[in-house]
Amino acid sequence: MLFKDDEVARADAFAVRNSAGWYRWTHDTVDVAGPDSTALLDKLLVNTVALCKVGREKYTTMLDDNGRIIDDLMAIRLEESHWWLSTLYGPQMIKWLDEHKQGFDVSYSDITATVDMYSVQGPRSTEVMDKLLDVPVDDLKRFQIVDATIAGIPVHVDRGGFTGELGYELYCSRSDSARISELLRSTGIRELQTLEVFVRSLPMEKGMALRQDYHFLTPFEANLGWSVHFDKKDDFIGRAALEKAQEEGPRFAFVGVEIERESYEDICQNEIVRKRGVPVGKCRQMIYGYTVDKNIGFAIVDAEKCPIGTKVTIGPNDSPAVIVAPRWC
Amino acid sequence: MALEQKVGLHRGVETAFGKLIPEKEAYSYCLRTIAAFSANIFQVMRILNDDWEDRTEKICECANMMNCAACSGSEGQLQQYLNDFYDEWNIPEFVDREAWIGAIWGDYGDEAEDMAGRVIQFTRNRVEKELDSCPWDIVGSEMCNMTTAMFTANFDIAAGGEHGKITNDVALNMCEARGCGNPHCRVVAERLDAYGLDHQGWLDHRGASTAPVHDTPPERRVKHAEGLRSGQYTQAFGEEQSFEWQYNWVAQMGWVWSVSFPLIAIRDMEKNEGDFDRVLSIVFATAGKNHFIDPFAREGLRTWLDIPREIGDNDPRVMGAYIGAIMGCQLVPFEWEAFDKDGVTIKVSTDDFNGRFPMAPLDEITAGYEAEWNGAIKTLVSPEWSVWIDGKDDEFQFIQIGRKLDSRMV
Repeated sequence: MLFKDDEVARADAFAVRNSAGWYRWTHDTVDVAGPDSTALLDKLLVNTVALCKVGREKYTTMLDDNGRIIDDLMAIRLEESHWWLSTLYGPQMIKWLDEHKQGFDVSYSDITATVDMYSVQGPRSTEVMDKLLDVPVDDLKRFQIVDATIAGIPVHVDRGGFTGELGYELYCSRSDSARISELLRSTGIRELQTLEVFVRSLPMEKGMALRQDYHFLTPFEANLGWSVHFDKKDDFIGRAALEKAQEEGPRFAFVGVEIERESYEDICQNEIVRKRGVPVGKCRQMIYGYTVDKNIGFAIVDAEKCPIGTKVTIGPNDSPAVIVAPRWC
Repeated sequence: MALEQKVGLHRGVETAFGKLIPEKEAYSYCLRTIAAFSANIFQVMRILNDDWEDRTEKICECANMMNCAACSGSEGQLQQYLNDFYDEWNIPEFVDREAWIGAIWGDYGDEAEDMAGRVIQFTRNRVEKELDSCPWDIVGSEMCNMTTAMFTANFDIAAGGEHGKITNDVALNMCEARGCGNPHCRVVAERLDAYGLDHQGWLDHRGASTAPVHDTPPERRVKHAEGLRSGQYTQAFGEEQSFEWQYNWVAQMGWVWSVSFPLIAIRDMEKNEGDFDRVLSIVFATAGKNHFIDPFAREGLRTWLDIPREIGDNDPRVMGAYIGAIMGCQLVPFEWEAFDKDGVTIKVSTDDFNGRFPMAPLDEITAGYEAEWNGAIKTLVSPEWSVWIDGKDDEFQFIQIGRKLDSRMV
């Protein structure tokens, strides 16, 4: 939980918004390789990863047979037939690949235990990275990944992140992790202390959600319809159900909520949202946003009953709240 | 159609008279009856050992050891155990999961047991959890201390990184406890190296935390855990467990930590052989007699179980229905063998009755309830009636309610 008066969390947030900060940010990573790797991923993911160039990455979602999101992830194309999937939880991805690999010439493994990742985020992050890296990254494009070295240590560097700011992610071997963190510390920029700031507060302010926020939603309901490539690709898992869902229209709306109280201690994940006392949805999670100075959250609500501006209450103590667009800055 | 949909959504425990106790109410009752059993067991402990420090230290050590043992084995076995846990709860690498498994672990246990509250802080060096409710708040301070020993084990099995060694590298304080009269329970874990703290002994776990705590104002506290509020528990990384899962989990694990583990230490506190069994039956019988001393307690029970007025006060079915409700709400399967004005017989598998958690069967459940129910029937029905259990050593045991003369009536 984050509170307005948490000065450590506030300093963490402001470092990223106004300057630069770093933190260990090791996503679970699944390595997928082989002649049919791209074809398999195109079967599993809603957008056309085949169009992704080597050295680039795509944000995408993965659906179940009912067309509902079971994961959102970055698909990183390292080589023509070699991908990294940056996912919330690797073992589940492996199980899903196991279920769908038949007929595809691929190999895959969860490499989370061998790879570490650090994130450098904020408007000054390029300056910091250029000091660290042997080759500058000024001209790196968004979602581009390159090989580089830091003090002779090989790393992958991609331009991206989960804060909505200019930023970079550094992938290194676990065996080099301690040295990389030492070098990052030596830059003098702030090492973020508060997990919830970089997992929740900073991303949520910019409208960035976690996988669980999208549970049971179609990409259209999750405001991710832009990522669905019905016209550019053949069949993919969940396509038929998703087409039907699109025809029928959204059941839910993925929205933002702001509570009109100082704090949100009584609102946990999936707390019930009520309109005039009647349940109309569930709040995914509340957090304090230091940039916007508000208690904000995502919610899944009845699409018809809860347009933007609707007054609702959330949780067991009926915290008054208002439905807003799911992005604050 | 609408009614049909609603009926299908809701479950309950059926009483002897066909009334359904709603699932949520049955779950709350289950928790409270386990806690009451635990409270009785802790009274036994206080009679056997009158030294607060000594008995607290002993149950702490035992609870810690048993929690460590639950995940002992080779390094590979422990890792597999942890991996299974991570898989079950979808706990990703980036939370430094091995460092804080105790906190992650503790949260779902608290929620399943309706110890409702919140994780106030979750950082690399500090975790603070605040609980607004606790069904076990009747048990007493030794239990509050004991839970910190359990948490220590959870931290130790993975936090130190040195397999098989109790590293105890976290200062763990239950700074406040509802069982001691505080409005909250509040547990704070702080890394020794980050805060410059010393290793703790078993009696050092009730201190204040080093960093200040956040006190949730009364108007924002909660009465019940997520399962009762929203129908499921959602863990920080999105994995959800249904209320049904939660109910089944607690009907097993509630017995393990609050009865089974402390009993190992309490049995050893007897000074003379037989003291434990003798004191246990006295404590539980007294607790039973006090259940229904008040006339409104008897009337309340009749209303709750929907006992028809044709069944009078001096009828064994009143007690039978009460026992059936306890067992039903505790998710113990049983059969009625007899249920009339001459007596009641309930058939139950001994494994089901004593082995709420299959790996830790407890004869004391039979001994305790036999004494408690035999006490309770004296005030709920009349002293003409008794409760006893036949076939305790057999595959099935029979809970009997019948008339019995006992010239000593101890």
